[in-house]
Amino acid sequence: MFEQVEAFHRPASVREAVRLLVSRKGKARIVAGGTDLVVEGDPNVRALIDITHSGLNYIRARNGAVEIGAATTMAELRESRVIRALVGGVLARAAATCGSVQIQAAATIGGNVAHGSPAADLVTPLVMLDAALVLADAKGRRKMALADYLASRGTKALRQSIVVAVVVPGVKGRRCGWSFQKLGRTALDISLVNVAAGVALDRAGRVEWARIALGSVAPTVIRAGSVEASLRGRKFDRSVIADAEAAVTQSVHPIGDVRAPAEYRRAMSGVLTRRALEECAAQAGCGL
Amino acid sequence: MKSMELRVKVNGQARKWTITPGDLLLDVLRREGFFGVKRGCEKGECGACTVLVNGRAVNSCLMFAAKLEGCEVLTIEGLAENGQLHPLQAAFLDHGAAQCGFCTPGMILAAKALLDRNPHPSEDEVREAIAGVLCRCTGYRKPVDAVLAVAGVPEEVA
Repeated sequence: MFEQVEAFHRPASVREAVRLLVSRKGKARIVAGGTDLVVEGDPNVRALIDITHSGLNYIRARNGAVEIGAATTMAELRESRVIRALVGGVLARAAATCGSVQIQAAATIGGNVAHGSPAADLVTPLVMLDAALVLADAKGRRKMALADYLASRGTKALRQSIVVAVVVPGVKGRRCGWSFQKLGRTALDISLVNVAAGVALDRAGRVEWARIALGSVAPTVIRAGSVEASLRGRKFDRSVIADAEAAVTQSVHPIGDVRAPAEYRRAMSGVLTRRALEECAAQAGCGL
Repeated sequence: MKSMELRVKVNGQARKWTITPGDLLLDVLRREGFFGVKRGCEKGECGACTVLVNGRAVNSCLMFAAKLEGCEVLTIEGLAENGQLHPLQAAFLDHGAAQCGFCTPGMILAAKALLDRNPHPSEDEVREAIAGVLCRCTGYRKPVDAVLAVAGVPEEVA
């Protein structure tokens, strides 16, 4: 399938990987696990740049934030104590739903982000968490909000950069609850809809802030910003959750495709939002 | 066509193979005679091509061979030692856990990767570990029982 590939590079540093990417002028592709790239089977690729030996396999907690190297696999994420303890373990749970054990052993967080699928399971909780990316290009490294990256992913500048790390910022809040919900046809399937949510409550049980991200219902993962705002300050109970379910169902405009009709995705966006908020309530010690 | 050298250990033996930069592990292994590595869907859905790389189960159809420089690969051919079947192979036979046999190498290797990390898994853990290998003949009850038998977990009474 990849007979036309002329070179397979295994750079030992990000700097070298960037140099190779730039020098190949659009004919090179970055590869880590390969689980998306191989299936895609791009006939134009002439060089592969494997970044799994470029020092990008790490999980570091620093000043409340956690930085995850782009070549960290789904298996490593789900097994990591740091990731399992972070924000209710939502990232570990999302990683554990990314295909089979075999896929998880190869697929990486950087690949899940850079491939840009609207159904990418890790991206939904990362968008919910206001994650940022560290990008490397010929000029050096820079940070970019994940949401901005997703919106501008196809641009020429970004095609000449490499996602080298994902940064999950620390979270402020006394009583927090978190959830990741995924609906696929079977446990191994790509998401028809996925939802990540986080809620912080004050002493009186009112919503300090709420975050809801939805995957597979738009060209990229989206935040339900107006719904989040409408929850703020309200006592977190069943009626608030029912309102959020209805509002999310109203606000999304998914496509229909071979996997599910648009109406089903829309209805399930609401249902998964409800389930996610119910789990957040339970985690935050809120009786409903 | 450009070629390159790949040094890997396969089933304990050091190998030096000439490959092309775009070769997939599945194709290289079969070209070198490891026919226990099955060609199924070629997109990471069916798991028939499962091998272990450094102890973890992967889909060899999705993995560039060049990535494996210096790695250890285990295929089903490397499981029996001195003519003695591996306990998982024996258990699959005892339990009638194979029918056409096409998925069996992947199923056994996926189970081995699990047991090497977690010698006494629950039934759910066994089911998750082999969920990436599709069987279209017998279903999963017998393979699950076979793996649980090796793990020393009492079988569920059907």
